[in-house]
Amino acid sequence: MQQFVRRTLQPFDITLRHHLAYQRGRQLFLGFSLLLTFSLPLWRLHTLEANDPSFLGAPTSIRVGFFELVDPLEGLATALMRGVSWNLVWTLLPGVLLVGLLGRFFCGWACPYLPVLAASNAARWLLSRLGLPTADVKLPRVTSRVVLVGVLVVGSVLGVQVVPLVYPPAVIGREAFRVVFYGSLGAGAFVVLAAFLFDTFVSRAGFCRSLCPGGAMFSTLGAASPIKVHNDRSKCTDCTVCDVVCNLGQSPMQNKVDSGCERCGKCIASCPTKALSWMLQVPGKKS
Amino acid sequence: MNRRALVGALAAAVTLAVVPRRVRAAPKKLRPPGALPAGAFEEACIGCFRCAEVCPTKVIRFPSAFSLDVATPYLDFEDRACVLCMKCTQVCPTDALLKLAAEQVKVGVPKLTRSQCLPWTGQGVCRLCYQVCPYPDRAVEVVGPQKAPLFHPEACVGCGLCEEACPDTARAIVIEPLS
Repeated sequence: MQQFVRRTLQPFDITLRHHLAYQRGRQLFLGFSLLLTFSLPLWRLHTLEANDPSFLGAPTSIRVGFFELVDPLEGLATALMRGVSWNLVWTLLPGVLLVGLLGRFFCGWACPYLPVLAASNAARWLLSRLGLPTADVKLPRVTSRVVLVGVLVVGSVLGVQVVPLVYPPAVIGREAFRVVFYGSLGAGAFVVLAAFLFDTFVSRAGFCRSLCPGGAMFSTLGAASPIKVHNDRSKCTDCTVCDVVCNLGQSPMQNKVDSGCERCGKCIASCPTKALSWMLQVPGKKS
Repeated sequence: MNRRALVGALAAAVTLAVVPRRVRAAPKKLRPPGALPAGAFEEACIGCFRCAEVCPTKVIRFPSAFSLDVATPYLDFEDRACVLCMKCTQVCPTDALLKLAAEQVKVGVPKLTRSQCLPWTGQGVCRLCYQVCPYPDRAVEVVGPQKAPLFHPEACVGCGLCEEACPDTARAIVIEPLS
């Protein structure tokens, strides 16, 4: 049973060997994010009468005292349609700085869609075990940017925010509240279901990689991040484990890791010869 | 930023400037206190749920059906009403809800169907709407020998307390969205 669970959660039979503290930290952080997403509505419901607006949270919009953390993508959409206000700058600054420094870490560390993605990967693994074919369409790299720009343009044309309708962290956070507060799921459940089906039957983590406007936004902002995955070619045996374990189609084996890296560190943890490591590098410079 | 991204960003900026906004008519809905005018509100709201999260009477709702408004809050006065605690206006991260004093709120206007109202139809004595109104004698006053309610929409904030208080046998008051 334990073996089955381990394999389901870590498909492709790849063992995480070292840098395990990093993986523990990431899993703890993700666990905390999920706990916040699903338990805050419950806690809220029981403290409704004595409500304190100084601590609020859904994955895309958190407030603790004076500290505000709002998703840069949703803030950008508002700024494009409504103009920039000081309030908006104040709420967006922490998120923009974090992503600029750490890159696309939200996707690998905090996104509440990650359990769904894990389930999708497990389903793909099961399908392949049963001898059924699984498609893995690689959409062109530019797709995510097209989706990002498209979502912003369509929103502007229609005069509505499109991002909260299709962006999984926003959708999941809202649906969690909806279930607890009103006892019913909304249309957002179908968005998550569609993303799951796409990831399972069309393209591995294809939604995160090519369709998620938030991922594209974080990749764009995170291009300034100095954190890189470095491959020491003298130790590398070209075993391809790192390329296979990566959900987002990066290629650490060929030292080709761009701003699409979600900082999950699984390539580093799974490398049999410890050829991979984190490296700080000023963006724009070639090593 | 590489050249392709730069070209993409420029193209997006040009499109945003050229394409006329709000091709679609804004829906008529009761929005939370302090909401921007229809049209502007839908542009600013990111559907983060904070306003519904702090609403003590849970009248701030989100639609569940498939629509473009699925991520914007509306007010449901079916069971409860807004108590003008103004917490929702304090939590909005994108200024879709502006910080206001309770007296400045304008959620909607009251519509009284006199043929259903107990005093107006002579069915009995009822002053519930007058008694619960946060601005009695300004937003609603009682007139005539039967003490029937007379609303002054210009002084009414549209909190819906009268709609909530109106007896289920009458249901004569409805807060309607601003036109």
